[in-house]
Amino acid sequence: MAEGQTKILNNWNGEMTEMSSFLPAVAEELLRDVKKAYQETSQIPDDLLLALKFVFGPSALQALDLVDQRSVTCLSSPSGRTVFQVVGGSGRLYACYTSCHYCPCPAFAFSVLRKNDSLLCKHILAAYLCQAMGLSQQEAVTNQQMSDILSGKAGRGT
Amino acid sequence: MADILALVLKCNCAQLRDNNDRKLTSISGQNALPCMIVGESCNIKTSLLFLTAVTAASELGVRVLFFTPTPFQSLPGLLQDSLACLNPDSLKKITFMYSRSQEELLQDVACLHESVRQAAVPPALLIVDRLDLYLGLQREEQAAAAVHLSALLIDTASFLTRNSEEPCRVIVSFDMERQGQMPWELVAPDPVLSILDRYFSVHCTLDQDRHSGAPSPPGEPGDAWQIYFSGAGNTVANSGSNQGDQILGCLWKLTIRPNGTMEFSPTSMESCVN
Repeated sequence: MAEGQTKILNNWNGEMTEMSSFLPAVAEELLRDVKKAYQETSQIPDDLLLALKFVFGPSALQALDLVDQRSVTCLSSPSGRTVFQVVGGSGRLYACYTSCHYCPCPAFAFSVLRKNDSLLCKHILAAYLCQAMGLSQQEAVTNQQMSDILSGKAGRGT
Repeated sequence: MADILALVLKCNCAQLRDNNDRKLTSISGQNALPCMIVGESCNIKTSLLFLTAVTAASELGVRVLFFTPTPFQSLPGLLQDSLACLNPDSLKKITFMYSRSQEELLQDVACLHESVRQAAVPPALLIVDRLDLYLGLQREEQAAAAVHLSALLIDTASFLTRNSEEPCRVIVSFDMERQGQMPWELVAPDPVLSILDRYFSVHCTLDQDRHSGAPSPPGEPGDAWQIYFSGAGNTVANSGSNQGDQILGCLWKLTIRPNGTMEFSPTSMESCVN
């Protein structure tokens, strides 16, 4: 059991590193600073909060709110596949992939992809912050459940 | 991805075919990135994808998953001569998945992780023919579907790569629209394409060659196409020094020969041969 948990954690960390390659260097550096500060003091200092807001815009505060509410869960299946599931403000579940930026929320489609005026939506940023702060919930799902979540079938059915 | 397309060009180029060094390692560089083959609607892209699948299976010995909305009833005519001497065992490494709708394709790709632990060798190449046919009709729907399908393919390839010694590559084809009715008018910018750029950083463009007189019907003898690579992911490749990078940096010509086979030739031989 412990070995399985370790493997999941290793996978998760590896995948987040992979996903972070989609970020500009300044954002990567900032997330590393947040991680370091939170590990040392269990809080994020004001200067880093300001930097988060500067780099990520309004999504930063909304993402921190999601982190406070423990809204991010890392789902993993026996196959080893993982995905982040984030509970949005409306209670809807958003599945964010772990190796590239993707979220089915309207803000990702409009602000990130269409208008290109945001780096990330609040859900993906919350997943990054939870990983940096070690606050992500862990949950196991079956392979079939994982497939339905990845394909959006689970979301369409609810 | 693009390095496999470089191998396809090399294996089917008369000038380069005599070179026995067909290993991917000899041509791969920093161009193993997700690749999208774009161009006007024609069967040439499907034939090129089919040739890519066969080349990957026969030359590299990797498993290939080929997603297509339309079942193949026979080998593409353009490839029948090229494939005549192929070892049938190579074709067994290619699995055709006839996903008929967007939902089916999403489900087929999403469930690939379920069989990884059972499969002796996970697939190392995911090919989707006619991605545009899976996007629906409404503009908003198309954008959302394009993003979901692209991200799922790349996330799945990433997962398969972690579970294999061989990196898993992704190649898709996408039909573009024309700005006007006349066949030689420039293709219109497509908002879906700009979104796909985020996920497929190498573009392989097929453009019918209309400079040498009246173009032949697509796929018929005498038909000629220009092939070139572009995109953010190809910038690095162009500056590389190995043969794969140089192949991707060339402007290529695809000619349909009188016997119906496809022949590739670089416009500037020195840069590819050296």
